[in-house]
Amino acid sequence: MIRHHPSEALLLRHAAGRLPPAHATVLDAHLARCGQCRVALGAAEAVGGALLQTLAPAALAPDALANTLARLDAPLDPLPAPGMADRVPDLIGAWPARPWRRIAPGIATLALSPRDATDTRLDMLRVAPGAGLLGHGHAGLETLVVLRGAFEDGVASYAEGDFAEADATLAHRPVALPGGPCICLFATTGHLKPHSLLGRLLRPLLGM
Amino acid sequence: MSLPDADCRHGQWLRAIAERRDRAAFAALFLDFAPRLKAWLVRAGARPDLAEDMAQETMLAVWHKAALYDPARATAAAWIFTILRNRHIDQVRGTRARTEADFPPPPVSPAACPAPTQDAVLIAAERAARLHAALRTLPPDQRAALHLAYFEACSHTEMGKALGVPLGTVKSRLRLAMAKLRLALAEDEDEAAP
Ligand SMILES: [Zn+2]
Repeated sequence: MIRHHPSEALLLRHAAGRLPPAHATVLDAHLARCGQCRVALGAAEAVGGALLQTLAPAALAPDALANTLARLDAPLDPLPAPGMADRVPDLIGAWPARPWRRIAPGIATLALSPRDATDTRLDMLRVAPGAGLLGHGHAGLETLVVLRGAFEDGVASYAEGDFAEADATLAHRPVALPGGPCICLFATTGHLKPHSLLGRLLRPLLGM
Repeated sequence: MSLPDADCRHGQWLRAIAERRDRAAFAALFLDFAPRLKAWLVRAGARPDLAEDMAQETMLAVWHKAALYDPARATAAAWIFTILRNRHIDQVRGTRARTEADFPPPPVSPAACPAPTQDAVLIAAERAARLHAALRTLPPDQRAALHLAYFEACSHTEMGKALGVPLGTVKSRLRLAMAKLRLALAEDEDEAAP
């Protein structure tokens, strides 16, 4: 059972299409596993539609309608279906096979997308049971979803499908729980703080 | 019953497009939505000429996908909003082709998507009207937080700075606002429950 969900603020920004893509992917992985948040996303989209109607209209080109009407019979480019959660059936299966990179005893990462224009990157993290990442601080938003296994961070434990988010104010100490390896998808904006162990471990290897 | 007029028209126009390829209905829907789609895109940081193109393309997508609109699942405005948002995301990511290859949309069977009935359109319009009413009665600080989350192109941590309050305060305002709005949306479900 999923016990940890994204905050309302994160869901709303996701519904509005305002999250950096890496964070959006992490959220989609949670949404694909969490009916409660899919319902919440639907409400957030309804609010988006209602707010859209309250916007002051922008002036269109004089021929906008005529131009569009003239294109109605042309074949359309294929388009993604509405509903982002529908598009992410199985994130583990969808990734191309790439080598894991061992960064510390029991810990490996797999880079999925490099740092982008929003200073955000997407990685997969695999932690052997019992192995831990000592406390690290964040400079910006970090989101994480557990794809397999479980970890605990000193405050709560996180199992498959659980979502964690942290901003600049929070530091945590994730430790993988016994069972199998814990595999997480995580997105980070900004750089991990250098004084932390994870920061020291990952910085030279990942460019964090 | 006068409140859901606009939302009811939008649902009926979508239905007319889906069932009869009704160009007059499309033109009416275009005039209501396209200028606001462009306004949304400009606020999201798009260049005005690109926003103009994308507003028109979003309306073309509405024309082609009208049969997929299910009033039991979304208001007309929410459905159009998600099409706009997805196009905008794909354009920002620049990975539209890859996204589609990796995550093809689920097949839509006729049984899963029954033609919307007049009743379903009305129910969706009433739901939208309750939502509009609930939005109007939100306290100003909660409305401001909502507008920031949906419309301003700023980062997560900047949301607090923009309103001059800690991020935690913005988050709790959003939680309070959404709790009220969700209640308004779900009212008909409560009535339907035994
Ligand atoms: Zn959830």
